Amino acid sequence: MKLKKVLAVALASVMTLSLAGCGGNTATGDTATDTTTEAAAEDTESTTESAEVPADALSVAIWDTNQEPGLTQIVNDFTAETGIKAKIQVTPWDQYWTMLEAGATGGSLPDVFWMHSNEITTYSEYEMLLDLTDKIAASEKLEMDKFPQDIVGIYNYDGKQYAVPKDFDTIALWYNKTMFDEAGLAYPDDTWTWDDFKDACQKLTKDDGSQFGYALKPSNNQDGWYNMVYDMGGEIIKADKSASGMDEEGTIKAVDFVSSIVKEGYTPAYEVMTENNPEALFEAGKVAMITQGSWMLAELCNNDYVKANCDIAVLPKDATTGRRASIYNGLGWAAAANTDKADQAWALIEYMGSKEAQQKQSDLGVVISAYEGSETNWVKAYPEFNLQAYLDMTEDMVIRPYSKHTTVWEDMISEKLIDVWTGAKDAKTACTEIAAEMNSDLAEE
Amino acid sequence: MRMEVVMEEKAVKYKGTNQKRSEFIWGWLFILPTMLGLIILNIIPIFQTVYQSFFKTGAFGKGNIFIGLDNYTKMFADTAVWQALWNTFKYAIIEVPFSIAIAIVLAVLLNRKMKGRTVYRTIYFLPMVAAPAAVAMVWRWLYNSEFGLLNHALNSIGLKSVNWISNPNIAFISIAVVGIWSVIGYNMVLFLAGLQEIPRDYYEAAEIDGASPVKQFFNITLPLISPTMFFVTVTRIIGALQVFDSIYMMMDKTNPAFAKTQSLVYLFYKYSFMEANKGYGSAIVMLLLVVIMIITVIQMACQKKWVNYN
Repeated sequence: MKLKKVLAVALASVMTLSLAGCGGNTATGDTATDTTTEAAAEDTESTTESAEVPADALSVAIWDTNQEPGLTQIVNDFTAETGIKAKIQVTPWDQYWTMLEAGATGGSLPDVFWMHSNEITTYSEYEMLLDLTDKIAASEKLEMDKFPQDIVGIYNYDGKQYAVPKDFDTIALWYNKTMFDEAGLAYPDDTWTWDDFKDACQKLTKDDGSQFGYALKPSNNQDGWYNMVYDMGGEIIKADKSASGMDEEGTIKAVDFVSSIVKEGYTPAYEVMTENNPEALFEAGKVAMITQGSWMLAELCNNDYVKANCDIAVLPKDATTGRRASIYNGLGWAAAANTDKADQAWALIEYMGSKEAQQKQSDLGVVISAYEGSETNWVKAYPEFNLQAYLDMTEDMVIRPYSKHTTVWEDMISEKLIDVWTGAKDAKTACTEIAAEMNSDLAEE
Repeated sequence: MRMEVVMEEKAVKYKGTNQKRSEFIWGWLFILPTMLGLIILNIIPIFQTVYQSFFKTGAFGKGNIFIGLDNYTKMFADTAVWQALWNTFKYAIIEVPFSIAIAIVLAVLLNRKMKGRTVYRTIYFLPMVAAPAAVAMVWRWLYNSEFGLLNHALNSIGLKSVNWISNPNIAFISIAVVGIWSVIGYNMVLFLAGLQEIPRDYYEAAEIDGASPVKQFFNITLPLISPTMFFVTVTRIIGALQVFDSIYMMMDKTNPAFAKTQSLVYLFYKYSFMEANKGYGSAIVMLLLVVIMIITVIQMACQKKWVNYN
């Protein structure tokens, strides 16, 4: 009898625990909305602490907290100019796409939000996004030819434009000056080839395991080995996205090159690299060089160790082809197809794409704006670093490889390359296998 | 099931039809919130999952294409699924016995009259209160091969570093240790409740007969606690087969031990939510459901052999 009671209590507590679980979820949801900032600061309504977007304001969804203060300023300008209120809500990247998917399924997308090359095809195929084609054609403010055409192309589906480019990113080489001085090496510059890079990796590696030349995971693609692939004449996906380029000669050469740096011991042990991101190892003074995208500036430039010891250079080039490519990507501003404020949403997107707003976005150091020529002031955002290297990388840019379901094959590649990094498989065998699997993935799209 | 029996017993005692009816109504009223929750959050989704597993799913709940058993044929040929099933079993085989054995020993030790008993009980129960994701993050740092506390301690006494979560032969044990650590307190509380059911007289009689504490444990405590043990075993096995959060939080997908540790639920999550292939994800989770059902049925059938309800 007593036992029955105990079991009943136990079951009841299990239920309460699961309820508590639900409660916990709501709590995290609340904190996510708590980060909401008042965009229309001049507006009296917005000074209240309510997390809800006022009914007459546009809801704007983004995922990067680093960009929030700058974008809020720009949105305030927009409100001052047009009288349309808008409110930015930040949802971290990991939850952003879940939030957006739920919104799209339930018909409650934010009015205006960021789009990414990984997701655009699904959203435009299912007609979740507002078709901007005619509005762009009629606009006097927006000059689509001033944006990189690859980024415009990402957000174009079946001849319809679903988003206006916001920014772009490039990749550069970060190096530790102190370690270079100690090894008696000259700092990297634009004469460096990937072979010079590997030599330096060797010279910067200490035998006692306290310091290594470089660090890179198979999943560091855009900010790592993708660049080498295009430098060495390979490609990840064919231009028409019909087939994989992983089994091309240049691609195999690049994969072989990058894995040789790991296998010859110029990077920390593979296990250490998978447990720690390259930037963490760089900040801890474990590795002398990393390749990183311009989206990491806020993280790296505000780190005290990096500030004291490190600087930025352009990526090395390939000795044979002479190519110095930078894989780049860019976000776009999109609107919900079913928004009841289509005109206001369009007005905001148009404003965000205008020369004035793009210039301000660069000047504030938020990101490198997509608008041609607006990036010149961006380098002043962190004067102690050579940000010019990131702009120099714009001379030869390759758009980040994508297809309809990019994540499917991108994750598969990362998983299959583990064996190459650890030396269990040679680059050629692995790349051939990857190409076969990627081709079947692409055929299913 | 046991609760219903209690209720029926009570109902029989009061013969009045009015009272019976009002009890009937109130009974249902009281369980209505739970029923609604179960139906909306558990039972309907179960059928939706079954339904979805026969489709090649489109995005946003639209554009599903019926493909019959294709997801299942693909699954049966997919070595990653079987490896994940094996990984899940490996995890359960370590987590369940250890978490039960340690918890029962702790419960026996903490069932005596001793100083600071409540403090110890609270300490052992604390991991249960902490958020699983936070627990996994802390352990991830303890295990870190380069900057982790465990390796730091090993190095300081002159031992070599161990790749706790990136060596395929060790990683699943490391993850199971986190599982054991998290769940011991919960098991312990259940056992404590079970222990307090056992009448003192048995122990007194055994003492007079000269039985040692160890003998008492095996001949009195264990048989009499077997109903609690059965409940804990069944729920823990189900829980262990559903392991996900510690693996998701602790393992990077480029981890060389990843293929040897990812569980079925992780694979389900990967296909359903990372790769937007909800149909295949549903098929995988149906496999898990069937496996759990078979194991639970076997346990139910075997309980007569060892569970003592007197």
